[in-house]
Amino acid sequence: MENAIQVSDVVKAYRSSAGEFIALDHLSLGIAPGEFVAVVGRSGSGKTTLLNLLAGIDRSTSGTVRVAAADLGSLSESGLAAWRGRNVGLVFQFFQLLPTLTVIENVMLPMDFAKKIPVGDRRDRAQDLLERVGVGDQADKIPATLSGGQQQRAAIARALANDPPILLADEPTGNLDSTTAAAVLELFADLNGDGQTIVVVTHERDIRSIVGREVTLVDGRIVTDESASVGVAE
Amino acid sequence: MTNLLSVKLLRDLRASWSRFLMMAIAIAVSLTAFGGVLFAWAASGRETRGAYASTEPASATILLDQSVDSERMATIAAEVSRRPGVIEATGRTQFTGEVEVNGQPREIPLQVFVARPSDPMRMAKFFMEKRSWPPSAGELFIGRDSLPLLGVTIGDTLTVETPSGEVVELRVADTVYDPSLSPSPQEQTGRAYLSSAVLDASEEPAAWDQLKIQVAGPDRAAPSRDRDAIVVVASDVGEWLERVHGLAIREIQVPTPYAHPHQWQADALLGSLLAGGAAALLLSTMLVANMLNNLFTQQIPQIGIMKAIGARSARIGRLYLVMTLLVAVGATLLALGPAILLGRVAVGNFLGFLGIEPTSLAPPSWTYLVVVAVGLGLPPLMALIPLVKAGRTTVRAAIDHHGLGSKPSAAAGLLARLSRTRRLDRGLLMALRNTIRRPSRFLLSVGLLATAGSVFVAGMSLSTGVEAITEEQKQQRNWDVDVQLARPAAAPIATVLEAVPNVSRVEGFNVAETGVAGPGEIPVTRTYPDQGHGRISVTAIPVDTTTFTPPKLLEGRWLNAGETGAVVLNQITRKNTVPDIHAGDTVQLILGGATTTWHVVGLAEEREGGGGGVYTTAEGFADATGQPQRVNQLRITTTGHDEQTRQAVAEAIEENLTEAGIEVRSAASISRSEAISAGHLGPVILILLGIALPLGVVGAIGLASTMAANILDRTREFGVMHAIGARPKAVRRIVVAEGVFLAITSCLVAVIPALTLTAVLGAGLGNLFFSAPLPFRVSLISVAIWLALVILGAVLATDAAATRASRLTVREALAYL
Ligand SMILES: Nc1ncnc2c1ncn2[C@@H]1O[C@H](COP(=O)(O)OP(=O)(O)O)[C@@H](O)[C@H]1O
Ligand SMILES: [Mg+2]
Repeated sequence: MENAIQVSDVVKAYRSSAGEFIALDHLSLGIAPGEFVAVVGRSGSGKTTLLNLLAGIDRSTSGTVRVAAADLGSLSESGLAAWRGRNVGLVFQFFQLLPTLTVIENVMLPMDFAKKIPVGDRRDRAQDLLERVGVGDQADKIPATLSGGQQQRAAIARALANDPPILLADEPTGNLDSTTAAAVLELFADLNGDGQTIVVVTHERDIRSIVGREVTLVDGRIVTDESASVGVAE
Repeated sequence: MTNLLSVKLLRDLRASWSRFLMMAIAIAVSLTAFGGVLFAWAASGRETRGAYASTEPASATILLDQSVDSERMATIAAEVSRRPGVIEATGRTQFTGEVEVNGQPREIPLQVFVARPSDPMRMAKFFMEKRSWPPSAGELFIGRDSLPLLGVTIGDTLTVETPSGEVVELRVADTVYDPSLSPSPQEQTGRAYLSSAVLDASEEPAAWDQLKIQVAGPDRAAPSRDRDAIVVVASDVGEWLERVHGLAIREIQVPTPYAHPHQWQADALLGSLLAGGAAALLLSTMLVANMLNNLFTQQIPQIGIMKAIGARSARIGRLYLVMTLLVAVGATLLALGPAILLGRVAVGNFLGFLGIEPTSLAPPSWTYLVVVAVGLGLPPLMALIPLVKAGRTTVRAAIDHHGLGSKPSAAAGLLARLSRTRRLDRGLLMALRNTIRRPSRFLLSVGLLATAGSVFVAGMSLSTGVEAITEEQKQQRNWDVDVQLARPAAAPIATVLEAVPNVSRVEGFNVAETGVAGPGEIPVTRTYPDQGHGRISVTAIPVDTTTFTPPKLLEGRWLNAGETGAVVLNQITRKNTVPDIHAGDTVQLILGGATTTWHVVGLAEEREGGGGGVYTTAEGFADATGQPQRVNQLRITTTGHDEQTRQAVAEAIEENLTEAGIEVRSAASISRSEAISAGHLGPVILILLGIALPLGVVGAIGLASTMAANILDRTREFGVMHAIGARPKAVRRIVVAEGVFLAITSCLVAVIPALTLTAVLGAGLGNLFFSAPLPFRVSLISVAIWLALVILGAVLATDAAATRASRLTVREALAYL
């Protein structure tokens, strides 16, 4: 079976006035479907850069990135947007719900974009997703009236809207208190339990007890890649 | 667009409704001005052209230097109408004289147009209300707009003096609508229409000096619209008349074909207004594009997240395009009603100004299309760059915009700075720095305000310049009583009159109608049938005059005392008759039926309403005509300059002259002439104030929006200031100071454009309306008014933003973003 994610010999260089900065240095990584992978490392080690490449938000300087059976380097900007809508769910540190739409409308919006879910099913599916992440009772509220944890759960529901094969999260708990953070990570574990492929960038120390695999970055290189149960090492 | 995006759009609109309303108002105000003027111009143009064309104006009027009798004129007209290129020819004449209504003399003169009773009225027509041509014996018709001017009603008796000096009494039988003439009140002249039968019944029969001809256009049937072609045919007719009939031609009058005498004024006025409206429109859409850009920038995080969940650039672009279009639609809807209303009021006024009765006030339908197209099209066009930019925002950029940025460091720097502050003045310094932190936004609002300010000051300055002309003319009119004689009298009469009580000085001038032409040519002018604008006369100036101020010279020199054979032309006469003449050249003047040759020693600059355009010395005039010095105009200086003395002297002089057997046409205090010249100038000033008003509104909205955006940008900063103990009042002061600083900067920036605009418009409008540049004046009062307005406006416009900034709680401010 093809890997859900296949990163091969990727270099990402940022050009700035100070010169060139290598954020990812000939990095390769494969992730099988159904894996739950944590990317850890110090601040500035290249975690976000890697996740952005996986999400098609940024392009690599060299090397190839294949995600959900697509070579991201060959897609146009608008092709990437369409691909993203159907294939990856994104969760950010800041919850990023559209402030003028209600919670359930926020979850329905990606369905509108991707047109994968039939129109008649969208509201029910969004409600189901909200129930699943535990904020079903908040569906018709405006995001600003929700707590941080509730907003992040709603954002996760939105990420799942089009039933994407892959869920990518960049420090999803970075803005939450520890109890709430633990509950959100639990939610990820549950989703993974249902077969969802997940890559999460995190600083949480207890992550190893939840994820199946932990990749540690230092200066844009993978220094350790440890599997707890299922090993798909390089 | 998906359903949810429409929902988002509507909610965004509702959330920032005040901002969208401002945008719509900014565009609506200038679109109203632009649309109203366009409507007015199109409708008034159509009405004016239609009304003028309906009179079938003559292509040319050939003015004979000496009148001929009816029989001869009939022969000539019949022969001329068979000349090549001539469709038709008819003889007419006209005269102007004093009038009495029911035995009461009037100050306003009466201009009488005379035609044969059998005139077919196929050209140079006028429209009787109830009757038809000709009036019965003992009757005349009167111009409708002359009724109130002269205080006449139908059935009144007018006492009119004929050219031969005979007095006839005529009953007013009907009114006439004549859209080929400028309105009576504007010219301060009554108009009457008389059948030559009335004159034939008196001692001296009618004499004719105007041959009106209709020149054929290319299709041989309709009159020509090509002035050059008309001039060729008319000159040919003129030469033929001189050669075959031995007539002296004083002048061939060829006004611009099918253009109402004041059409160009309307075009100039409405054209400048339209240009101003278009400029306001452009600026307001620029402002709106900027406001939208601010809004899009604020939405960058949202754009990023929409992209992250699968929205394409085109879809985002469309969302914001619809937002822009909604503003445009709102603005257009807001503007349409007022624009139509404004257009109607303006058309009504304009046609009144031109003396035209409209058949309809409705603007042509294409103008609606233009206004709607401009209203809907311009905002998206101007917002195109921000629109595309917003659509293209990458998720990456959105995330960066969100998380990073220089804000924390700026706030930290601020904190450091503030902690060292003892006095609040530091805050003002900060205000200065903040205003220019976003240079493009700063420049836009400064630019908008500066533009409005420049136009306002220029407008007011031009009106000061116009006043200066009146003032200058008043100063030059340093005598007290004007006397016009019916016929020239021997020059020494002037000295004799100095014996009249209360008279300190009398100067005699000789003013004679003339035609000006290059050597061997017949004079061709653009004079209209009312013989008003463009009439040329030569003024013979007495030696040691004190009442005549030599005009400014453009070329050559002024006349030397006692010099003969020398003339000075003004630029208006030169342009209308001999445009290629320079000082040193030779011209011909048609004087009393003879062609005289003169040396042009100088070209002078005068404003419309000045003298007759040609000047020579009394000696020169006498020499050229071979007659002793004579005078027909007296300028009298009285010992006292009050109105009572002037009137008493005027009466005494008239009595004196009449006793001496010299017929007086009029003798009046100069104050009436002063009243006439002041009437023409209002519209010029209205134009500029009309442009400055919408610009000012747009500028104020610009200032308000800039300040609001600045405050929004710095929400965090204000939170920090509150956190470290700045009181609301202090914060408020900083914000207001920013607004005022911006306003004052705009005034400084406006200085050079205002001066340039005053000079350029002064030259342009001056040349249009007075045939010479306006004197350069800067209205200091308007500068003070604008400064006060703009500072007050800045305080008011900033108030909402200042209140918001000062009320921000620390928690709100830090939670922002
Ligand atoms: N747009 C950029 N331009 C220049 N350098 C960048 C840019 N984005 C990230 N970097 C640099 O690349 C390195 C990796 O950044 P990032 O992937 O965000 O690290 P992490 O998420 O692990 O903290 C950092 O040193 C950062 O300064
Ligand atoms: Mg990171």
